[in-house]
Amino acid sequence: MKNQEATTATSLDLDTGNKFIDWFSQKQNRHAATIMGLVAICSAWALSNDMRWLYLLVYVWFGLIYGMFLQYGRFCMASAVRDLFAVGVSRMAVGVMIALCLYSMVAAVVNISGFGTFHPHPLGWHIIIGGLIFGFGIIFTGGCASGSLYKTGEGNMASALVLLSISFSQAFFVNLGDWSDKLAPASWTASALDKGMPEELSVEHGWFDQFTAGYIWDLEAATLADMMNVTQPIAKYFLTDSLLVTILPASIILVVLYKAYYCKGYLRRQKIEKQGMTCHLGGVWSMITSSKNTAIAGIGLGIFSGLHVWATGALRESYGIFNFGELLEDMGHTAGLSIQGTVFDPGYWYITTQEAQWGAWVMENVGMDMRSNIFFGMDNGIPNPLINAPGFMSIGIILGAATLALLRREFKWKIPNMETAFFALAGGLLMGIGARIAMGCNIGAFFATVANGDISGWMFLLGMVAGGYLGVQAFNFWMNWRTSQIDDCPL
Amino acid sequence: MKQQFTTWWAWLLRKEVISISRELHSVELPDGEVVRVTHTVDCMDTSCPRPQMAAMNMLETMKKGNVLELITDNPTAIETVPALVMTLYCQHLATIHTDDGWCIYIRKDD
Repeated sequence: MKNQEATTATSLDLDTGNKFIDWFSQKQNRHAATIMGLVAICSAWALSNDMRWLYLLVYVWFGLIYGMFLQYGRFCMASAVRDLFAVGVSRMAVGVMIALCLYSMVAAVVNISGFGTFHPHPLGWHIIIGGLIFGFGIIFTGGCASGSLYKTGEGNMASALVLLSISFSQAFFVNLGDWSDKLAPASWTASALDKGMPEELSVEHGWFDQFTAGYIWDLEAATLADMMNVTQPIAKYFLTDSLLVTILPASIILVVLYKAYYCKGYLRRQKIEKQGMTCHLGGVWSMITSSKNTAIAGIGLGIFSGLHVWATGALRESYGIFNFGELLEDMGHTAGLSIQGTVFDPGYWYITTQEAQWGAWVMENVGMDMRSNIFFGMDNGIPNPLINAPGFMSIGIILGAATLALLRREFKWKIPNMETAFFALAGGLLMGIGARIAMGCNIGAFFATVANGDISGWMFLLGMVAGGYLGVQAFNFWMNWRTSQIDDCPL
Repeated sequence: MKQQFTTWWAWLLRKEVISISRELHSVELPDGEVVRVTHTVDCMDTSCPRPQMAAMNMLETMKKGNVLELITDNPTAIETVPALVMTLYCQHLATIHTDDGWCIYIRKDD
């Protein structure tokens, strides 16, 4: 009897072993395992050097998680806008709203516990204008800032070109030369000079410096709860920031999407003659659950975005710091810090600024002066990409998406043709400029902003949707023109 | 794909071509059902939003009972195209993962 049991156990072991060998013998699985293995080894190596790299590794691993969810749900925020106008599909817009509601609820808990890292954005027209330029750009690149990261992970080299373009266009834009001074109103220049900034920043030179110091800094920045002077924590974070600023508008958007894009088809399909509240509620639920992968990704991204804020907040508290720059200084890495001793360290999901830092780092290393501006010189610094914590979040997204794409057999190297490459570079340029004017992309200026109770995020969305609409019109015009040139294309 | 072009320069200058065929053929779906495909749209190697728009434009011209086969390697389209069925009165039959992409089958209902 005992022998028999032993035999069964061994054959089971053998079976698992065979399955493992079988799994490992497939090339894509091996590559996925290699990526994760290398990330794990590098993480362990960094920690063995100095435990304080944990702060940077939080960004890396949350980046991996974001990348996996983005890939799993094909969570492309560009298509949230584009598909509505181009083909009348609301799947991705619905997914974004789900993620937004969950993020806001987790963020409320995190903010109540005192670990919040969010700073509200100044409210002004620049957000709508920046959103418009950004929204126009994403239609041509075929992906937003984080969408381009996960698509790069799927092997799409057009998206890699978008990243390249966003990085350099931002770095170039915030460091515009003296010729751009004429574009800034005299009131901005005067107001910027009034701020008494250090001379090496030369705030009176360069359009972006005057825009930042002479315009943005004069604007109010507050969450809705702060504007309404709500101080009781539950009322502040749950009722105002989460319910009033995020969940209520998101629910209204869901109802509008249902009415505009889903209701007619749903009623006809279900053969519903008599319309009542219950049938419409069923319809909204069917719309939310119709694309399961997108909904699951939305839930995952929402929850983990909130947890990310908590993890960074808790680490800051335990190290007694406000910014990663302080840790870097302690560890002896002072080269990339700004004059305030800070680096870019949002503490939540953010995409564009770290890419601007990559671009600036390259430009600085070929001999350009990149620090005589507020953006890099005073706020964000230009750290070496090897110690750029949020930069590693972006790399984490690429690697996470690549791992999951390999496991799902969806990884494929794609080399763009000239037309797509041109659109990627031109669209990326617009995205970079738009993101800097609006102070973030659809993640930093919309997703994270709204979820933390800052209404400026909705203004960004408004601009982005308008830009997206114009972009779709321009893209259709281009496609029609192209079709008239070739015969075998049905579009 | 690359082999069709004689020089790498010609390959980079290639156009994103969507080809249509109305050749009837039968396909067995994963659930065992055999369907007769009436329209095939091949969007291999095309980027967003071309596959989605090609599918939409094709479905709008099709008649009741016709079956569309959409061949693509664009992962975003795999999620979006089945979601089209709600507005265009069609039925998503299956999405089959092949070695270098996917085939999506959609039947026009009305």
